[in-house]
Amino acid sequence: MPKYQATLLIELKEGILDPQGRAVEGVLKDLGHPVESVRVGKVLEVIFPAETLLEAEEKAKAMGKLLANPVMEVFTLEALKELP
Amino acid sequence: MRWAIVRFPGSNCDEDARFALEKAGLKAEYVWHTETSLKGFDGVFLPGGFSYGDYLRAGALAAKSPVMEEVRRFAREGRLVIGVCNGFQVLTEAGILPGALLANLNLHFTCKEVGVRVERTDLPFTRLYPRGQVLRLPIAHAEGRYYADAETLARLEGEGLVVFRYAPLRGEADYNPNGSLHDIAGITNEKGNVLGMMPHPERAVDEVLGGTDGLPLFLGLLEEVTA
Repeated sequence: MPKYQATLLIELKEGILDPQGRAVEGVLKDLGHPVESVRVGKVLEVIFPAETLLEAEEKAKAMGKLLANPVMEVFTLEALKELP
Repeated sequence: MRWAIVRFPGSNCDEDARFALEKAGLKAEYVWHTETSLKGFDGVFLPGGFSYGDYLRAGALAAKSPVMEEVRRFAREGRLVIGVCNGFQVLTEAGILPGALLANLNLHFTCKEVGVRVERTDLPFTRLYPRGQVLRLPIAHAEGRYYADAETLARLEGEGLVVFRYAPLRGEADYNPNGSLHDIAGITNEKGNVLGMMPHPERAVDEVLGGTDGLPLFLGLLEEVTA
């Protein structure tokens, strides 16, 4: 069966205060970078088997839904590719 | 009354939970998180700790453990469920209690004694406290900022589901240790049989531990059987 690699991005919903992002923002500013804001999220790279690209997309989205907490997070399927 | 204390990989308040339950005269046994049955138990205690190293999010991976289906059934059937600290995080991640626990606003792992006001006294967990009493309980967490959307918060307040709220212990103005919305430290479900809280009552059941303000919570559970 072909293998696919999905890149899932999990981020805090807009409007939810992200103290981790604030801390990073502060350091960047202190070092002279004119930053407006920073948000910290998580990237998950998952490799799994699937018959077709469509099936892989469905599986990747199902995993994203399982792993993101809908109370405070959103997930995006950033990339999906078949591995050689 | 027989209580199950669920152990996840990384639980570390399991023995404290057992000490507190047994001190109150309850029977307690450890249950591994891969168990699929809680048959024969009358209550479930989800202890504090760092299940799965708090990877992904605190409590997130533990919430998917096999035993959680059974905890969900327990909750639905109106039997007693308590989640303290990481256990509270697991309960929200499992969707058994609403809301979520986010990183403390100060970004610190905060380990100290806080004031916790008892908002409800009609629950098995709080029946032995006078309403409005401010307890002295320890907290020890990095992700304890209670968050829920405005609609959920309004429902919690409207239905009186907030059981514990951070409160000044010595008159201090800055008493909310993590930035929880509405100073929420613990909540219950509609039926009042599930309790989730960030402070550790099980670590305050003996003077040797620095205080006994948590003991009435456990004694109240004993009364639940004998009542």
